[in-house]
Amino acid sequence: MNVTLDQLVGHGIILTSVEDVLQWGRKSAIWPMIFGLACCAIEMMGMVAPRFDVARFGAEVFRGTPRQSDLIIIAGRLSVKMAPVLRRLYEQMPEPKWVLAMGACASCGGVFNNYAIVQGADKVVPVDIYVPGCPPSPDAVIFGLMELQKKIQAQRPLSQPVA
Amino acid sequence: MTTAATDTSLAELIKARCPGAVTGAAEFRGETTLTTTPENLHRLLSTLKTDPDLGFNYLADIAGADYPGRSKRFEVNYQVSSIPANRSVRVKVSVGEDEPLPTATNVWKTANWHEREIFDLFGVRFSGHPDLRRILCPDFWTGHPLRKDFPLDGEEVAFTHNQDSIKPQEAIWKKGLGKAEYALEQGAADVGEETTMVINMGPQHPSTHGVLRLVLQVDGETVLRTIPHIGYLHTGIEKTAENLTWQQAVVVTDRMDYLSPPTNNLAYALAVEKLMGIEVPERAQDIRVLIAELTRLASHLIALGTHAMEIGAMSVFFYCWRDRELILDIMDFLSGVRMMTSFINIGGVRADLPDGFHKKVQDFLDVFPASVDEYDGLLTNNRIWEKRTLGISVITPEEALDYGLSGPNIRGSGIKWDLRKDRPYLTYPKYSFDVPVGKTGDVYDRYLVRLEEMRQSREICVQALKQISPRGEFRTADRKISPPPKEELERNMEALIHHFLLYTRGFQPPEGEVYSAIESARGELGIYLVSDGSNKPYRMHVRAPSFVSLQILPALCEGGLVADVIAAIGSLDPVMGEVDR
Repeated sequence: MNVTLDQLVGHGIILTSVEDVLQWGRKSAIWPMIFGLACCAIEMMGMVAPRFDVARFGAEVFRGTPRQSDLIIIAGRLSVKMAPVLRRLYEQMPEPKWVLAMGACASCGGVFNNYAIVQGADKVVPVDIYVPGCPPSPDAVIFGLMELQKKIQAQRPLSQPVA
Repeated sequence: MTTAATDTSLAELIKARCPGAVTGAAEFRGETTLTTTPENLHRLLSTLKTDPDLGFNYLADIAGADYPGRSKRFEVNYQVSSIPANRSVRVKVSVGEDEPLPTATNVWKTANWHEREIFDLFGVRFSGHPDLRRILCPDFWTGHPLRKDFPLDGEEVAFTHNQDSIKPQEAIWKKGLGKAEYALEQGAADVGEETTMVINMGPQHPSTHGVLRLVLQVDGETVLRTIPHIGYLHTGIEKTAENLTWQQAVVVTDRMDYLSPPTNNLAYALAVEKLMGIEVPERAQDIRVLIAELTRLASHLIALGTHAMEIGAMSVFFYCWRDRELILDIMDFLSGVRMMTSFINIGGVRADLPDGFHKKVQDFLDVFPASVDEYDGLLTNNRIWEKRTLGISVITPEEALDYGLSGPNIRGSGIKWDLRKDRPYLTYPKYSFDVPVGKTGDVYDRYLVRLEEMRQSREICVQALKQISPRGEFRTADRKISPPPKEELERNMEALIHHFLLYTRGFQPPEGEVYSAIESARGELGIYLVSDGSNKPYRMHVRAPSFVSLQILPALCEGGLVADVIAAIGSLDPVMGEVDR
């Protein structure tokens, strides 16, 4: 086998790390959970619908159960009554999992600074990406999703952290 | 609309039929308010319903209010209508903190959830109520949030000067962790039988139209009992609105019925205008009609799309969204926002129409009939669709009235009741359109009613578009209510003062109370407003059509199959944002 590295590359072979491939796979097939809270859920549905077609980014497989999903899009205002439910749903999701807070209410309570609404979903679950807007348009959510993809690609789940 | 003169005689008639029960009668903005006492309340309400000359067969709304200064601090207002005679009256009763009111659930079934709501938010107890539990707030909640001595709460907004001293919101939600709040047994304790099982459906479920939660007791595939739990989206919109000025509150109304935000604006704006006695220019009213009907189309498209998708017709969902995007484009073009436009405002609409608006709407109206025909072709004679909807979840006309249904749900049962025709508002009398009604009141009929309503709404849009000139008046010229145009500000000192006062302090409507209702895509969307003469609403209560219509769900599901629960929810078309507010 007297083949040099250059020759290999020249024959359509790519050299990469296992982690890169793993994360590339994860980011390209995000399965969000069907979890609509309020107004933002309508724009989230709009994101799946024909015009914006989130299938272009590999995230159209919405799952009805948290056990099959790896992304939870918190689409809308999170009430005090709903917060324990969200916490339980998040805990039911298998690792690795990500959270996208969609819109002003999920990010910080929005215009509803009152007794009924938790002032930001990040008080209940850890949030990876915040998308501003009231509600954000579907393209804004897709942008948030692409940012999340960058974040996933940069993660290094197999590497041991150096002490 | 009934005139003031007939209403006075109505008050006299009621006094004669129920002697001693009415302690006072008042007139304000064409509405009759009768005052009574807790002891006489039940007798009066029963007489209103059962007396053949009165025939008030429809309880539209019950609204509570809190006046801490009074000896009897709470006030409960029953908004009662007679559909055959098309008149309405408000019954008002004052009640102290530890004094129970007799329940009205044995007069009208729809009173059930209204009374639970008042119990939850104000702490007024109703004796004889079958199931007096909290409805919107969680079980682990303490206090009654709509009382005036309950703080608005939330968190202070952070600036550089105060960011270190802000007290974070109390994490009340943690009390709910691991509690029975969402355990299966809750509310279904007397299950007993071994062959049955209890299934929890929601609040996270793909087919419940949001965060509705149902506890189903099933025997195999047959549903024996359904217990709905709502409040998972309780947003405190009424309390928030009471802490904003009259104009600012327009913005929070958008977020109630989020499938048709401009209709909420319209309902609120009309209520405030009724309270203040403002006349809106005719062109602005035409624009409002056009927007309201476009919104109805957008809303019915989602209702149809999701309903069909839940039953299994996935492609209808995609087609409906294709057309809805065209309407959202128009909204975007008009106001810069796709959904939460807040475009309809007190005194008119927010801005004049942009150039090219007519063409954009006309383009949509031209392609839309073919789309409706397409849905018609996909579903109406589809054998699977028929099997899933024909004869399912039948609502009889008597039930529909008893439960206070409205909109397509009551019309599906054959009752021709449309506020656009029967209690006209805006310039609807100018336009010709039909009100479709169903025959049997099953899921299929409600689907047909919505489909036909889309065609009729399009007709109204076509007529309205012809009426509206590209340029003209779009809001009232009363400078105490609507801001002066930019050109005036630069030249006129008085305009500058008006502008300043309007944006710093807002306007102050006269003292009084009104109930104003419109026909939204879901039915009678009513707003009850109390003004104490200040620049903020003293009380804003919303009669949400979905909140009322959802009550009938247990009766619809009983004895049916589990799969029919999905069909029933879809046909009622609830929006949880409006149910929970």
